[in-house]
Amino acid sequence: MKKNGRFMVGLVGVAAVVTYLIWTGVSETMVYYLTPVELLERVEADPTFHDVGVKVSGQVVKGTYRRADGEHLHLFTVQDLADESATFSVEYRNALPDTFTDEVEVVLEGRLRPDGVFEATTLLTKCGSRYEAAPEELAG
Amino acid sequence: MTLLGEFALWISLPVALWGMVLGYAGGRTQRGDFVLSAERSIYAVFGLHLIASAGIVAAFLGDRFQYWYVANYSNRELELFYKVTGLWAGQRGSLLFWALLLGLFASICVFQNRRKNREFMPYVAAVLQTILAFFVVVLLFADVNPFERLDFTPVNGRGLNPQLQNYWMTIHPPTLYLGFTAFTVPFAFAVSALLSGRLDARWIQLTRRWILTSWLFLSVGIVFGMRWAYEELGWGGYWFWDPVENASLLPWLTATAFLHSIQIQENRGMLKVWNMSLVLLTFLLTIFATFLTRSGLIESVHSFAQELRIAIIFLAFMGAVLAASVVLILYRLPQLRSENRIESFFSRESAFLFNNLILIGAAFSVMFGTMFPLISEGFTGQEISVGPPFFERVNFPIGLALLALAGIGPVIAWRRATRKNLQKNFSTPVLVGAAVAAALWTTGARHPLALTTWGIGAFVLTIIATEFWKGTRARARIEGEGYLLALFHLVSRNRRRWGGYVVHVGMVMIFMAFAGAAYNVDQRFLMEPGDVVEVASPMGHTYQLRHDGLSVNLANGQRNLLWQAIVTVSVWKDGEPQGILTTEKRQYTTQEMGSPPMTEVGIRSYPLEDLYLILSELDDLQGAVSANSEAQGLYLQVLVKPLVSWIWFGCLILAGGTIIALWPSVDRRKSAATPSTQAVPEPAVVVAAD
Repeated sequence: MKKNGRFMVGLVGVAAVVTYLIWTGVSETMVYYLTPVELLERVEADPTFHDVGVKVSGQVVKGTYRRADGEHLHLFTVQDLADESATFSVEYRNALPDTFTDEVEVVLEGRLRPDGVFEATTLLTKCGSRYEAAPEELAG
Repeated sequence: MTLLGEFALWISLPVALWGMVLGYAGGRTQRGDFVLSAERSIYAVFGLHLIASAGIVAAFLGDRFQYWYVANYSNRELELFYKVTGLWAGQRGSLLFWALLLGLFASICVFQNRRKNREFMPYVAAVLQTILAFFVVVLLFADVNPFERLDFTPVNGRGLNPQLQNYWMTIHPPTLYLGFTAFTVPFAFAVSALLSGRLDARWIQLTRRWILTSWLFLSVGIVFGMRWAYEELGWGGYWFWDPVENASLLPWLTATAFLHSIQIQENRGMLKVWNMSLVLLTFLLTIFATFLTRSGLIESVHSFAQELRIAIIFLAFMGAVLAASVVLILYRLPQLRSENRIESFFSRESAFLFNNLILIGAAFSVMFGTMFPLISEGFTGQEISVGPPFFERVNFPIGLALLALAGIGPVIAWRRATRKNLQKNFSTPVLVGAAVAAALWTTGARHPLALTTWGIGAFVLTIIATEFWKGTRARARIEGEGYLLALFHLVSRNRRRWGGYVVHVGMVMIFMAFAGAAYNVDQRFLMEPGDVVEVASPMGHTYQLRHDGLSVNLANGQRNLLWQAIVTVSVWKDGEPQGILTTEKRQYTTQEMGSPPMTEVGIRSYPLEDLYLILSELDDLQGAVSANSEAQGLYLQVLVKPLVSWIWFGCLILAGGTIIALWPSVDRRKSAATPSTQAVPEPAVVVAAD
C-alpha cells in the first residue's frame, strides 16, 4: 500500500476522526461517578462543586420515601453504601422506574444544591433481572 | 429426570475433552478413525446437553424449589410457558442453553460435512469441542451450576421478574444466542484453515452461510430487544446504550465488517490477515457478550466480587483464545500475504475498507464508552462514566458515514472507478438526496442530523432502486420476459448481490426511523375523569385524549398479580374516533414489599408515528387499591414517536434480504458443470440448504 498516499491519508483520516469524536465526546459528556461520602467531601472542599453535574450511587433509606402532595415530586433520602452516616435528601421530578423500591440501590444524576438537597434529573435502579439473590435471602 | 440431567452434564465434560484431543490428534496424524470419533463425540455432547436441559425444564415444571435456579426464577403460580422458557431466564440456565445451541450447530456442521471438506473437519471438530468443553467447565466449576441444590426446600420460589414476562423477552435472548453460537462455526473453520495451512478463500466460502445465519440472528435479536424495551420498560425508548445492549451490538458491528471484508478476499485476494483477525475478534466478542449479558460486571463494579470466579474463568479463556489465535496467525503470516494491492482511492475495495474501518471505529467507541468507568477508575482512581450523550455524539456521525457507504459500496467499480463511472452512478442519487432534504426543509423539518439522515437515506435508496430497475429492464429486454418475472430471475441468479441490496434497504429504513426520534413529543398531564387533552404531532395530526375512568382489579395472586389499576383513554385523531387505549399500574405478588407497582404502557401504532401512553402516577394509589377512595386523578404521560414502526418493518426487510442471500442456488448443477465465475459450487452449510 506504499504507493497509495491518498489512500493512506484516508485511513489515517478515519482513525483521526474517530479518535477526535471519542475524545471530545468523553470530555463533553463525562460525569463524575461518586459515592455519597465522596460527593459530600468534594463540596466541602470546593463549594463550586455544587454546580457540577455528578452521578451518585447510594441506597434509598427505608421509610424515607414520600411523594409531595399534588405535585409530581418524589422525595427520599439516600445513604452511602458503606457509611450509613453520609446521607442527603433527594428531590426527583420525573416518573420513577418500575424497579424503584424504598430500599433499593439507585444511581442518580444531577447536582447537590448548596442547601444540601440533591436535585436528581435521572434515576436508575441497580437491580432486576440481571442480579440474583444470594441463597440465604431465600430462607428469610 | 433432573438427576439424570445433572449426570448428563457431568458426563459431557470427558466426552467433549475426548473429542477435543482426538480432533487435534486426528488433524496431526491424519487418522480417519480419530477424526470420526471426534465428530461423533459432538453428537454425543449435544445429546447429553439435551438431556441436561430437559432436566432443568423438568425441575421448573415440577416446582422443584430445592434447586437454587428454579427457586430464583419461578414459583408455583408462574404460567406454564414461562416455566418452560425458564431454561434461559437467568445466567445459569442461559449458559447451559448456550452450550446446547452450540452443540446443535456443531452437530449440523459435522453432519453436513460428513463426506466433504474432510481436510478441514478434524480441527473444526477439535475447536468446537474445545469451546463446548469450556462452557461445561464454567457450568460445573464457576459457581453457576444450574443443578445446584439448596440445603433446604423453600415452600415457594421467588417467581420470575414481571418485566421478563413478556413475549419479546422470551425470544430475544435465544435469538441473540443463536447468533452468537452460529458464529463459532466460522471461527472453527478459520482456526482449522490456520492449523491445516489451507489458507485460500475456501474456508470463507464454506462458512459464508454460517456467517450470514449468525448475522441474521444477531440483527433480529438486537431488534427484538429493542422491541421489548419499547413495550415493557415503560419509558418510551428502545435503546439506552446500556452495557448489556452495547455488548450485543459489538459482535454485530464486527460481524458486519467481516461480511463485507470477506468479499474483498474472495474477489481480490486481499485482506487475509484482516479477515482472520475479524473472525477472531467477533468470536471473542460473542463470548464477551454472553458473559456480560447475564452478569453485572459493568453496571456495578461492586458486584464484581460476587462474580469474580466466573469473570476470571471467562477472561482467562478469552485471553487463551486470543493468544493462541494470534500465534497461529503470526506463524502463517507468510502465507497470508495479499495477492493484490489497492489501486485507487475511488474503488469498491476502498469503499469496503472504509466501511470496515468505520465499523471497527464504532465498535471501538462503544467498547471504550462501556468500559470507561473501569478504565478511568483504573487510571485515576476516580470513576467517571459516560452515558447515552457520549454514544450518540460519537456514533451519529459514524452512522451517517456508514449509511452513505451502503449506497456507494455496491455500485462503485472494483479496482479503479473512472470519473465517468462515478458521474453516471452518483449524480442522480445525489440530486435526489438533496431534493428530499430540501423538500423536508420546506415542510418545516429543521433538525440538521435528521435532515442529513433522510437525505443520505434517499441517496442510497435511489442508487439501489436504480440498480434493480436497470437489471430488470436489461433482463426483460434480452430474455423477452415480463418485468416481474425478469426481476425474479434477476434476483435468483445472484441472490448474494440482490439480497445484499435488500438488506441495505432495510438498514436505510431503520436509520431513517431512528432519525424520527429527533421529533419525539413528550407531554405530561394531570387529568381527572372526563378531562380531554390535546397533543399535536410533528406529522401535523392532533390527538385528543379523554380520561374515561380508572378501574382497579384485585387479582389476589392469580398469575402472580396482586392488583392492577387500569386507565381507559378514548382517543381521537384529527377528530376521528380511534377507539380506546389502556395503560396500567400492576402490583405483582413476587415484587418486594414496598415496591411501587410496574407500569404497562398503551401503544397505538400508525404508519408514520406511534401514540404512546404511560400511566405516570395515580393521585391516590393506595386509596384506589383499598377501594376506599373515589379519587380518579392521575398523571398521564403522552408521547408521540415518529417513524418507530419503520424500525420493525426495516428489520423485516433486512431479514428478508438476508434470507434471499442465504437461499441455496436453484441452478447449482449448472454452475457446477460450467467452470464460470462461480467455479466453486455453493456450499450447502445451512440447515435449509440440504
